[in-house]
Amino acid sequence: MSGVNSTAAAAATPVAPSVPRQPGTLKRLLREPVAAISLVLAVLLVLAAVLAPLLAPTDPFDNNLSTAMAVPGTPGLPLGADGQGRDMITRMLYGLRATLVMGAASVLLGGAAGALVGFAAAFYRRLDGLLMRVMDVLLSFPAILFGLAIAAIFGPGIPAVILALSIATVPLMARIVRGSALVVMRQDYIEAARATGMSDARLILRHVAPNCLSPMFVFATLRFGQVILLGSALSFLGLGAQPPVAELGAMAAEGRTFLFFAPHVAVLPCVLIFVVVLTFNLLGDALRDALDPRLRV
Amino acid sequence: MSGFLKTGRRRAAALLGGTMLSLAGLLPAGQAAAQMAPKGTLVVLREIDADRYDPHRTTATAAGEALFLLTDTLVSMDWDQKTIRPGLAESWKVSEDGKLYTFKLKQGVKFCDGKPFTAKDVVYSINRWIDPATRSPVKWRAGPVKEVRAVDDHTVEYELKEPYSELLLQLAQYFAGMVDQATVEKLGDNFGVQGFNGVGPYCWASWTPRQEMVLTKNPAYNWGPPIYKNPSPQVDRISLRVIPEANTRLAAIQSGQGDVTQWIPYFALDGLKRIPNLKLVQQPNYFYDNFMGFKVDKPVMNDPVIREAINMAVDKAAINKAVWFNAGQVADSYINPNALDYSAKAASEMPEYSPDKARKLLDDAGWKPGSDGIREKDGQRASFLLYGIQQTYNNGMMQAVQADLRRIGIEMRIQLWDATVAWGKLATQEFDAFVMSYPYASATDALSLYFPSGNRPTPNRMNWSNPETDRLISDAKTALEPAARAEAIGKVQQQLTESYPWVPLIRQPLWVVSGPRVEGVRPHGIYGVALYKGLDIRLTR
Repeated sequence: MSGVNSTAAAAATPVAPSVPRQPGTLKRLLREPVAAISLVLAVLLVLAAVLAPLLAPTDPFDNNLSTAMAVPGTPGLPLGADGQGRDMITRMLYGLRATLVMGAASVLLGGAAGALVGFAAAFYRRLDGLLMRVMDVLLSFPAILFGLAIAAIFGPGIPAVILALSIATVPLMARIVRGSALVVMRQDYIEAARATGMSDARLILRHVAPNCLSPMFVFATLRFGQVILLGSALSFLGLGAQPPVAELGAMAAEGRTFLFFAPHVAVLPCVLIFVVVLTFNLLGDALRDALDPRLRV
Repeated sequence: MSGFLKTGRRRAAALLGGTMLSLAGLLPAGQAAAQMAPKGTLVVLREIDADRYDPHRTTATAAGEALFLLTDTLVSMDWDQKTIRPGLAESWKVSEDGKLYTFKLKQGVKFCDGKPFTAKDVVYSINRWIDPATRSPVKWRAGPVKEVRAVDDHTVEYELKEPYSELLLQLAQYFAGMVDQATVEKLGDNFGVQGFNGVGPYCWASWTPRQEMVLTKNPAYNWGPPIYKNPSPQVDRISLRVIPEANTRLAAIQSGQGDVTQWIPYFALDGLKRIPNLKLVQQPNYFYDNFMGFKVDKPVMNDPVIREAINMAVDKAAINKAVWFNAGQVADSYINPNALDYSAKAASEMPEYSPDKARKLLDDAGWKPGSDGIREKDGQRASFLLYGIQQTYNNGMMQAVQADLRRIGIEMRIQLWDATVAWGKLATQEFDAFVMSYPYASATDALSLYFPSGNRPTPNRMNWSNPETDRLISDAKTALEPAARAEAIGKVQQQLTESYPWVPLIRQPLWVVSGPRVEGVRPHGIYGVALYKGLDIRLTR
C-alpha cells in the first residue's frame, strides 16, 4: 500500500492537474446531505466497532441458556437474546467489529496487491498482456468459490474469508489502477520527470500513484460495501467466523432456522449488514462525485 | 418494525400459519409454489435426498426412507425396536452352535415386475452385499458369513464362521434388502439411480434427484410384516418430495401441499400440537443419539480427569431446553434405556452435572487456572479442538458446551465443516474431539460400531484401543444366549462409563406430523426412518 501511504507527501508536492486533490474535498462532500449523513454514519459504525468492549453491556461469549431467544424488550435485554441467551446488543457490536475488520482487511490487502499489479502493467508494457490475462482468469471466479476452496484447504475462519475476498478484489483494483495509470503516464510532466533521470519506483510513487488515488479511493469505499456483503454470505454458509465469535453473517445464519419463531435473532444482524453496506455504498458514490473534476460545478 | 420484533413465542403458532404461507407463496421455486397434494397420492416431505437408492451401497437415512418401501428384508422389526418379526421369511431356525440360520420363505412373493421371488434371490442379494467388488460400506453388518445357500425355492441357509448374535437385528435393516439380479446387471452402476426392482410394498416409478421420487403400489404385495394391521399398502402412490428448508416444509404441511413428514424443526413442535387438524405422533423407542467423543490418545484428552470433568461440566438439561426446545431427552448413559441390552448399573454410575465437582477434580489433579482462566498442567493448556458437521443443532449444542467448559477453565475450539468436506475431515487425526449423531439398533450394534480397536480411525474416531473392550465386544457378538450377550456388552458399558471417552449429549426424539386427510400414521424409526413400510397409512380424500 506504499502508494496510499505517501498521500500526504504527494499532496504537498504541486503535481500536474489531471485529477487534483485539493483541500476542498471534505467540504464538497459535506455539502450533499446524503453524503454528510453517510459519512457521519460510517464514522459512528466504525466507532461502535472500535469501542465494542467498552460499549457492550455483557461478555460476548458468556451464554445464559435460561434466556435463550428472549424477545426484544425483555428486562435487561432491550434487543433480546440469541439462541445461547447472549445479549443481542453485545453480539451485534462484536459482530460489527468482526465484519468491519474482515471488510477493511480484504480491501486493504486485495487493493494493495491489485494496485501493484495495475502499476506494473501500466508501467512495464511487456508485462501488461500477461498480467491482465491472469487478472481476467481471476475475475472469472466468483468470490464465493474462492471462499469454498480456501475454507476447504485451510479450514473455515475469518482469515480464510479475508484471503478469499482479497484475491477476489485484486483483479478489480488492478484494472482500475492500470487504466488510470495509463492516462496519467501519457501526460507531458511524466516525460519531463523521466527526462530528469528519475527512477521507476520514484516516478510511480511521486507522480503516477498520487494522481490515481481518487479512483482507487472511490473503488475501495464501494468495494468495502460489496466485500462485507460477500463476507457475510461466506460466514452465512459457515465458511467464516467460527463459534463463539460473533460475525453478522454468521449470526444471521444461526438465527435463520428460527426466523418465524424468534425473528429478531436473524433480522437484527441483517438490518445491521444492510445499514453498513448502504452507508459505505452511499459514501463511495458521494466520494466519487466529490472527487470527480468533471462533475465539479 | 417493533411490533414485528416483539412477536414472541406464544404467537409463534399464529405466525407459522400466516407469515410462512405468505412467504412460501413468494418463493419462485417450484417446490413451494407446487399444487395441492394430488388425490390418491401420499406426499411425504423429506429434508434431504440420498445419492443413490442401492441398499448395498449407501448408509444414508434418506436412502432408507425409500428403500424400506421399495424392498423387503428376511425379517422385520417390531415397534419396540427389540423384537424380530417375520418378513420375507415366515419362520427361521438357529442351530445349537449359533452358526447356521435356516429361513423358510413366504409363498407367492413377487418382484415389482411380476417375477416370482425365490431363495436364489436371497442368495444373490446377500452375496452382492458382502462381495468386496460391491464395496458396501456396511458389509460388516452381514456378520462373518461362510456361505448363504438355497436349499430349495423357499429355504435359505445362512451359515456363519462363528456365532453372530446381532444377525437377525442386522437382517432387518435396509442394507439386507432384496434386489433383483437381472435389474442390477442391466443397470450396472445406475442401479438405484435409474431404476429398481424389489419386493417391497411400493415400486420405483421415477426419481428427480433433490426434488421428488415417485413410487407406485406393488399390486401383488400382501406379505407385509405382522406389526401392521394391513398386509398390503392402502395408498396407490407415494411421492417423496424434498424440501430442505424447515420453515417451508412446515408451511407445506399446513397448507396441504404435503401430507406427512418426520423432519419437523423442534422449535415448531409445540406450535404444531396446537393446530387442530394436524396430528402429531411420537415413537418413544427411538435410538438416535448425539454425543461428543474424545481422541483418548492425544495430549490433554489422554487425561481421564479432563474427560471426567468435561462430563460433569456440561449442563445437558439446559442444552435440551434451549437448543432442542425440550423435544430431546438428556442422554445420561451410553445407551438408550429402551434399547436392547442397556445396562442400568453402568448408567447409574455416569458422572452427574456438577461444575463445582468438576473444578475441584481438576484442582486436585494439578490443573491450575492460568492467567487467562484456562487451566494448565506441566506447561500444557487445557485446550482442545473439536470438529463436527456444520448444522443448526451442532452449532447450538457446541457453543453451549463451549461456554460450560469455559466456566471450569477448559477451552474448546470449535471447527464445524460443511457436510461436503466434513466426513473427510472427521477421518483425520487433526482434531482432539468431535460431535456426531447416529442411529443404532441395540447396545451391541452401537458399541461394536464405535469401540473395537480394528475400527480406527473411523468410525472409532476416539482411537479407543483396549484389548478388554475388544474381547467383550467379540463375546457379545458371538454369544449364543441373550443373557450372555447382555452381560458382555453390559461390561463394555461399565468400562466406558468409568473411562469417559464420550459425553453422551442428547437423544433425538422421533415425531411425525400428518395432515387432515391422512390416517394410520405411526412412526417406527428403524435406522431413523419413520414410515418404515407405511402399510396402515390411508388417505381419506
